[in-house]
Amino acid sequence: MSNVVPRSVRTMLSAISWPVYILLYTPLALVALYSFAPAPNQTGHSLHAYSVLFADGDVGAALRRSLILAFGSAIVSTSLGTLLGYGLCRFRAPNARGIAANLPSLIIYTPIIMPSLVFGISELIFFNFVHSTTGLLNAGLGTMVIAHITFQVPYVALTVFARLAGLDPNLFEASHDLYADGIKSFFYLTVPVVRPAIIGGFLLGITLSIDDFTISFFTSGPGSVTLPIYIYGAIARKGISPEINALGTLMIAVIIVLAVAHFFINRHRERASQLPV
Amino acid sequence: MFFRKRTALLGFFLMSASSLPQTAVQTESRARAFRLWITAGPGLFWIILFLLIPSAVLLGIGFLSSNDYGSPVMPITSQPFQQVAGFSMLGWDDGNIIIFLRSLEQAGIATVVTALLAYPLVFFIMTRPESVRPLLMLFIVLPSWTNQVVRTYAWLELLGPNAPLTWVAHALHIVPPDLGIAPGSFAVTTGLAYNYLPYMIVPLYASAERLDWTLVEAGRDLYASGFKLFWHTVFPQTIPGLLSGIIFVAIPAFGDYVVPQLLGGDRALMIGSLIANQFTETPDWPYGAALTIIMLVFTAAGLIAFRILSRRLGGSGEATI
Repeated sequence: MSNVVPRSVRTMLSAISWPVYILLYTPLALVALYSFAPAPNQTGHSLHAYSVLFADGDVGAALRRSLILAFGSAIVSTSLGTLLGYGLCRFRAPNARGIAANLPSLIIYTPIIMPSLVFGISELIFFNFVHSTTGLLNAGLGTMVIAHITFQVPYVALTVFARLAGLDPNLFEASHDLYADGIKSFFYLTVPVVRPAIIGGFLLGITLSIDDFTISFFTSGPGSVTLPIYIYGAIARKGISPEINALGTLMIAVIIVLAVAHFFINRHRERASQLPV
Repeated sequence: MFFRKRTALLGFFLMSASSLPQTAVQTESRARAFRLWITAGPGLFWIILFLLIPSAVLLGIGFLSSNDYGSPVMPITSQPFQQVAGFSMLGWDDGNIIIFLRSLEQAGIATVVTALLAYPLVFFIMTRPESVRPLLMLFIVLPSWTNQVVRTYAWLELLGPNAPLTWVAHALHIVPPDLGIAPGSFAVTTGLAYNYLPYMIVPLYASAERLDWTLVEAGRDLYASGFKLFWHTVFPQTIPGLLSGIIFVAIPAFGDYVVPQLLGGDRALMIGSLIANQFTETPDWPYGAALTIIMLVFTAAGLIAFRILSRRLGGSGEATI
């Protein structure tokens, strides 16, 4: 195809695109740059903000909660989502039509389509209502985990479904012919085959959880401040400080390192699996 | 008969089985239904319990009165919706209409900006060697994996009152001295476009990858060139991707909360902040719920419109649930 695009157009595309790439990373780079601000009454660059940050117990507690939230919700949503994607791909009546047949799809797409503000506020009202009538579901880390599971399940289900839908249905026939019952064929055929999708769904769940602020904000309680809520509160109270920039830098760096590492490991694996035997 | 009706209701997505005669087919479809319930049931139940029921409660609250603390109480009333339309004890006020229009405008501008940037970027990536394309895509998507709050407040480092781009704006006399570009509506547009650019690029890239380049060559053989060639051969093939991109950008941008909150300030209040205020600073739950309902109506209208459009113009052929 590249020979179809003339040289002048390619030059123009590059001239527009490289600045956009730079612009995408400029704000993030500035956060990192300002995190090395010197300590008060000093000049030059320093790691002062980082030492303040590591000494702050609130930040440590917020980090712990963020990790519990991300991993806890991703583990549950991966289990629920994998079963959901598997069930819909394998056991849905093949020629069902109408609203009833489309209902599962509608249910799965609601969390994806619903604006996160509406999502968060619905949860806020619901948890509040349940708490005032039954005393359960007090706003805190528990309600945040529930909300995060809810928005992750559809993404895991879609990932697993897409992988299964691309498989040869005869594989399941074959496992049936070899006397594997439903449970055996699930654990010995489905799980190994869709493992990349399950891992992908799990990582996607963690990414979505780490990325989220709005839903967390409306489902959190006074004792469940996570990192994004901590940053938001700090900026609202006293503006951006070198410590906040240091925290932001660490959060950006972790995501970039993990994503790039995941990308290259995956590519390496793909290449290895394509080698002729 | 009654029993059969109830089973159909219980197994609401398996009704096709209940009309068949009692045969092996039915036994098999019963087994299938049972397995569907065990596997898909828990996930669907979770979403129904923790999202569909809560949204139904939210919809209900929009029709209740509010007490002195802003909590919903009986009786049923249309007062929250009158408040949304701008009516209060002090008479009519255009504040809410302005906020709604501003949100539509911001979402619209953000969508146009992302689309205008996405086309050159997507075709730039397409003209690179196949081995580097995934890496170039990764670096487009990467910023959106960092936390919403972090990547949004990062723009204050460029647009805030004492930041590089603000100095430029001061020198050009675009922004009055002592003020920053942020907070303000330009900063909101920038923040929205930045946040949602990948959501436009990913679907566009997917349709660009499936592009039939022989059509472009045919067009060139017919002496079309430049923009005309693009418009008649490339653009029509990217419409499904563009439409998905518009949905992915416009809908979340319209109801965004973080960007207007951090970059907008009071001068650029959007519907998201207005809704959130009714549940945090100055509680009035029924009013907030009514605002949310209106926002959902807008969202649903937009979705349905684009769904119809994309059906007419040809959808994508990917496996979806």
